[in-house]
Amino acid sequence: MDTTTSSPLVAAEAPILLRCEALEIGYRGRPLLPPITLDVRAGELWAVIGRNGSGKTTLFRAMLGLNPALGGRVQRLAEIAYVAQRMSFDELYPVTVAEVVRQGTVRGWGFLRPWRRASVDEALDAVGATALADRTFRALSEGQKQRVLLARLVASGAKLALLDEPTAAMDAVAEREAMGLLDNLRKRYGLAVVVVSHHLAATQAIADKALFIDPDDQRVVVGPAQEVFHHTSFLARYGDTCPEGTHAP
Amino acid sequence: MHPETPTWSDFVAAFELFRDPILCGVAAGGVLGLLSVFIVLRRMVFVTATLTQASGLGVALGFFAHIHLDWHIPPTLSALLTALGAAGLISLRAERLRLSRESVLAAVWLLCSAAAVLVGDRITQEAHDIGAILFGTAVLVRPEDLQLVLGVGGLVAVTTILCREGFVFSGFDPDGARVQGLPVRLLELLLVGLITLEVGVTTRALGALPVFGFSVLPGVAALLAAPRLGWALPLAGLFGALSGGLGYLLAFFGMFPVGASQAAVAAGFVVLMIPLRALRGG
Repeated sequence: MDTTTSSPLVAAEAPILLRCEALEIGYRGRPLLPPITLDVRAGELWAVIGRNGSGKTTLFRAMLGLNPALGGRVQRLAEIAYVAQRMSFDELYPVTVAEVVRQGTVRGWGFLRPWRRASVDEALDAVGATALADRTFRALSEGQKQRVLLARLVASGAKLALLDEPTAAMDAVAEREAMGLLDNLRKRYGLAVVVVSHHLAATQAIADKALFIDPDDQRVVVGPAQEVFHHTSFLARYGDTCPEGTHAP
Repeated sequence: MHPETPTWSDFVAAFELFRDPILCGVAAGGVLGLLSVFIVLRRMVFVTATLTQASGLGVALGFFAHIHLDWHIPPTLSALLTALGAAGLISLRAERLRLSRESVLAAVWLLCSAAAVLVGDRITQEAHDIGAILFGTAVLVRPEDLQLVLGVGGLVAVTTILCREGFVFSGFDPDGARVQGLPVRLLELLLVGLITLEVGVTTRALGALPVFGFSVLPGVAALLAAPRLGWALPLAGLFGALSGGLGYLLAFFGMFPVGASQAAVAAGFVVLMIPLRALRGG
């Protein structure tokens, strides 16, 4: 694993919300990648980059405790909100946007309590989706769905959000808007965000830190985003993808 | 009109006799209708089919034990026990046996169906016909069965309504629900438990066919008709209750078997809602 030096963009004293220590992921006891060590601090935006099948979702699931890790340790030190890949939502359910956002506020057995509409309205307002409140989720466009899932994330009050390919089905414009909205929300609410995305240009523009994984070369690169995006392993796979003016000094 | 065809005045004159079975059908249809929304959304239709068949077997076993072995096991209890046994079997993680879930369901369903017919063959000469158990041809309901249907139905309905949001969240986005600490597996078991309980109790009173019909068709009709889940739940309860009551009337005036009439009315709601859905779109 290559670990670059810490980023000057993020205060080193910001509290750690998620810590992975020598985390090993894999299938049927066989590690997929070298052990991963990283700290996600408050306010940071992390990009997780890797090819299809490289283990990004498996890594997320281990971070979230949904799947057991093969080795190492994960410390979840804050409440987490998770936005899974779009096909993880069962769209047979005719749930309204307000009901989806309300789900963000439910923890444990909290579904037994009556819900406050005000918190849902505030969250929808924060992402500019108030007009969608009474529509059914499945009838929305992909861009609108992501907006609603970001509202759910806001409603949750979580300090750390993990998003797995949130812009996968979007066109370039919707994708740029969604990433911009995500960036605004993390600044406004002091949210730490870890996002998996294949859309490098949009991600590179806003990421503070990055994790590049490559199971073919057994390579894990962790560190400040601009350094990771200029690492030889990353460049060997993707070439120079950085937008103008974002090159590392 | 055919001289033997029952009239409305015949019905009114004998209403005392019909009140309990109608009430039983309405109550069972209403509660199973409520559950049917989750059964359909969670793709548990064949789970319910298996549970109703297991309950039918349980009822037959209860009668068999009473008639041939002189064991006094209430058929409702034996129905519940076999339904619980079937629920336990189908709740096993089929992938650990390298089998698909549907093959486990099919195996349990076929086992229960065959066993019910075999056991039923040994009780047909007695007062209890296997046809009544499986297809619900019985016209009357015993008072104790009605009380059980009402009591258990009330409990199941209240629990379902209280937990509806948990059922929805854990079905719509199970990973998101787990991350937020919802007891997703427990909710799944609770839902299967509620279905098992309601199916076990109502199968004794109504028969397996109408119980299976109420467990699926009102939910299908309501999801076709309602644009959102909040409306689909009460609508499914209403469709189920109406199927129980109107089905009994159809059986009386048409001189049809009761269980099949109730299932047919429930299916009628589905047929009626299809054009509505086509018009509404979405």
